[in-house]
Amino acid sequence: MVRTLLYLVGGVLLGLLIHIMVILTLPGLAGHNVAAKLASLGQLNKPLLFDAVSPGKPNPLRLDPELTYAMCRLDLRAGPGEVSGTLPLAFWSVAVYDPSGTVLYSTTNRDGIGQTLDLGVFDPGQTRLLAEQKIDIATGLLIVESKGDDVFVVVRLAPPQPAMRDRYADQLSKLVCRNLKT
Amino acid sequence: MRFLLNLLLMLVVALAIGFGVSWYALTDGRLFGAVQIGPWLAWTRAGSPAPDPYTRAYLARNGVLQLGLGEGMQFIATTDSDGQPLSRACRYRIDGNTPTATFWTLVPTAPDGAMIARADGPPGFQSARIARANDGSAQLYVSKSLAPLNWLEITGDGPFQLLLTLYDTTVFSSAGTGDNSLPSIIREAC
Repeated sequence: MVRTLLYLVGGVLLGLLIHIMVILTLPGLAGHNVAAKLASLGQLNKPLLFDAVSPGKPNPLRLDPELTYAMCRLDLRAGPGEVSGTLPLAFWSVAVYDPSGTVLYSTTNRDGIGQTLDLGVFDPGQTRLLAEQKIDIATGLLIVESKGDDVFVVVRLAPPQPAMRDRYADQLSKLVCRNLKT
Repeated sequence: MRFLLNLLLMLVVALAIGFGVSWYALTDGRLFGAVQIGPWLAWTRAGSPAPDPYTRAYLARNGVLQLGLGEGMQFIATTDSDGQPLSRACRYRIDGNTPTATFWTLVPTAPDGAMIARADGPPGFQSARIARANDGSAQLYVSKSLAPLNWLEITGDGPFQLLLTLYDTTVFSSAGTGDNSLPSIIREAC
């Protein structure tokens, strides 16, 4: 009886170990994470407008149907990334993601940015060069540091009325995604 | 023989606890990183640059494009305020105020995330486009059958969920007013 109880306790401890392993290894093993879903979409340094969410159709990224989305994929190996453009006078936000889907940085135009988006993404080496003033950047550039070289930037724009959606999407498609020259 | 039985018992217990607790942690999540307010559940660290291991696993499992902490917060309700699963056969009233936010959206979806609102109607509610009472509160109805005030028609059968997304919100932040109450979801008729 005591021996069976010891095996039960051993099972509980082993179960907790399995649980910890599952939680820690899942991010690396998951095949349908954000990076996998976005990997096949768009090209580097070119804004991609997400299709509007349609009734009954799959919505794997769980996009808000009230918003319009654009994404830029950046490879920082070719230099610091920049996403810039002028957006309509409505709510918009921007978020920088790493390949695991973790949000490295996010903000909204309510934080005093106004209509102009000018965001720079730098890897640790480029950030060091920036601190040493070896990279020239424009005044007002919003600086974000990324640990990795593959990032994607998502801009969310909220049209006040559904009828304005196409015009707002057109504005989003004019975003400029590029690598800065170093 | 007894040794083998004990070993089998240990393995069964280990697998049940290991995978069972993991499934619970990433589905319900209340003890592991998610916050529940009434029927609404949110993973508050999901939009953080340094999510905890449970939140990181939740993001990997769901693969959704998470809002950044600076952008807003999303709450999901799969049950009404009495704990009953949301069903498209019933009419629900969503009643009350939301925390401070620039705007919010409320969208009903199928469990897999597909939209279930009527195809030629709005996909959900947007806070700037609803009728409100004098005190700012709003009564929203989600159902397949006609309802008064702010009504969103849904289609299909089976369970569904409600996604409440607060944009540019102070909820859970130290800058907030401390009022993190969310609307109730009341089942009226089935």
